[in-house]
Amino acid sequence: MPILDDKVMQEVKKALEKMQKPVTLELFSQSFECGYCKETHQLLEELSAANPLLSMKLHQFESDADAVKQFGIDKIPAIAVIGEKDYGIRFYGIPAGYEFSSLLSAILLVSTGIYKLTTETKAFLDNLKKPVHLQIFVTPTCPYCPPAVMLAHQMAFYSEKVKADMVEISEFPHLAQKYSVQGVPRTTINEKWFVEGAAPEAMLIAKIKESL
Amino acid sequence: MLDFNLNLSATADPSELYDVIIIGGGPAGLTAGLYAARYKLKTLMMEKEMVPGGQLIATQWVENYPGFPEPVLGQKLAKDMEEQAKLFGLEIMREDVESVQLSGEIKEVKTPYNTWKAKTILIATGSSPRKLGLADEAKYAGNGVSYCATCDGPFYPDKVVAVVGGGNSAFEEALFIAKYARKLYLIHRSDSFTADSILQERVKAEPKIELIPNTVVESLAFAENPRHLMIKNIVSNKESKLTVDGIFIFIGSIPNTGLFDGQLELENGYIKSYPDNATSIEGVWVAGDVQEKKLRQVATAVGDGANAAHAINSYLLHRQA
Ligand SMILES: Cc1cc2nc3c(=O)[nH]c(=O)nc-3n(C[C@H](O)[C@H](O)[C@H](O)COP(=O)(O)OP(=O)(O)OC[C@H]3O[C@@H](n4cnc5c(N)ncnc54)[C@H](O)[C@@H]3O)c2cc1C
Repeated sequence: MPILDDKVMQEVKKALEKMQKPVTLELFSQSFECGYCKETHQLLEELSAANPLLSMKLHQFESDADAVKQFGIDKIPAIAVIGEKDYGIRFYGIPAGYEFSSLLSAILLVSTGIYKLTTETKAFLDNLKKPVHLQIFVTPTCPYCPPAVMLAHQMAFYSEKVKADMVEISEFPHLAQKYSVQGVPRTTINEKWFVEGAAPEAMLIAKIKESL
Repeated sequence: MLDFNLNLSATADPSELYDVIIIGGGPAGLTAGLYAARYKLKTLMMEKEMVPGGQLIATQWVENYPGFPEPVLGQKLAKDMEEQAKLFGLEIMREDVESVQLSGEIKEVKTPYNTWKAKTILIATGSSPRKLGLADEAKYAGNGVSYCATCDGPFYPDKVVAVVGGGNSAFEEALFIAKYARKLYLIHRSDSFTADSILQERVKAEPKIELIPNTVVESLAFAENPRHLMIKNIVSNKESKLTVDGIFIFIGSIPNTGLFDGQLELENGYIKSYPDNATSIEGVWVAGDVQEKKLRQVATAVGDGANAAHAINSYLLHRQA
């Protein structure tokens, strides 16, 4: 049975018509001890059948050490959304529920190069000297989470210095513990600084400045 | 069973002149959008959130909206309203309106990314949760302080939480949170509750919930271990410590009128409405929670939205003639 029903598949096909350049979804998976690897794999197979410009490549997390290193993967399931180059856009855990929109947005972002960032944000990113790693903790049932993920992914797309991960926190309870997550979305900047909630662009930038 | 929700922003053209721009995609805006698009008006909706639906998104069960004999999930109702409106061609832009220029023949709506133009505007910005006004309340929002049970309730499995409020929302959401929490204190500043009696009965029958009437929250001591609240009984003036892992606040809402300050006539802090949901400015209408009225519910919001869209359609027809 397909994981995406007909109605969603029609919407996906329509959304992906906007694709311009090819995109590869690099999937990291393993056959044991992984909550949603199987479902994520099936999801990406169905997605990559929806448009000829979209493809999927499967890597084994436990054996494919080169790829794991190349894409900097540290937990699974993981998806790296790769276009002409690697922009540092990652999904850890299955992008289901509301996060499905974040995945589609990331694919379109990388494929069309169309992003929405304010002039102030771009100016800040243009002058960024140090690397910034954004982790957005989310759950699939959180309707306020995708904007935080999309903002971070767009910043990663725009700036070589920024890497951005969606982290579906219910699949990684040890991280929920480590970063004491009690609500989502929660954005972590360089492992140490936190922003609660879906922060507007200007607020996230202010916090990143503070952290550097 | 996994579900997959696709909500992508429309890609509308900022150089167009729209017949109507609807600000806000809650039940009022979505209903107006459905009607306006079905009237074939060139309609654009501005919604700052990814997922339209407004307060419905933060509501667990709705059981007083007609047509649903079984309680319906707020998010499901929102999704269905959105889909129905989109069927008629409603376009929803995910942009946050930062300022508006309402006077004159052509109105302007500014977002961080674009300036949009329209012949008419419908204001449906709804309301936002009222804060308690405690020091550190904002600091702990999303990390111990919450205004949304659906969003954050599941983060409190087997925990102890406080819920503040005495109205329908507080009682409804407390019943939902009690499914996760081990213990729930329902704190209210008086001993009479405005919640419907059917909800009061259910709350009293729930063994996990303990009512703490005549009491206010004085401060959050969330930096301390264990986390606790300082509460005060306003009859005896006695202060005490209440150990909790988190606090949910449902003490009413405040209208989202900030955008219109100085431009539109207000009444009791809400936008004053004239017959057919008109406002003090020609070409500008209002619908839903942001409008001055007595009952703020989904059923009244959708009625306002339909009325306003109808009035806008007539206005535009007359203007053309
Ligand atoms: C916890 C809770 C439980 C409830 N339970 C019930 C119930 O059981 N039954 C019932 O009938 N009612 C219930 N209500 C009330 C009901 O949800 C509201 O009356 C209704 O949602 C009002 O609709 P609205 O469209 O006017 O505004 P809202 O639902 O508030 O929607 C306003 C929309 O405008 C958007 N917006 C605001 N400002 C901007 C801006 N500047 N730019 C772009 N977009 C903007 C917001 O993001 C939001 O999506 C409940 C409310 C709460 C909070």
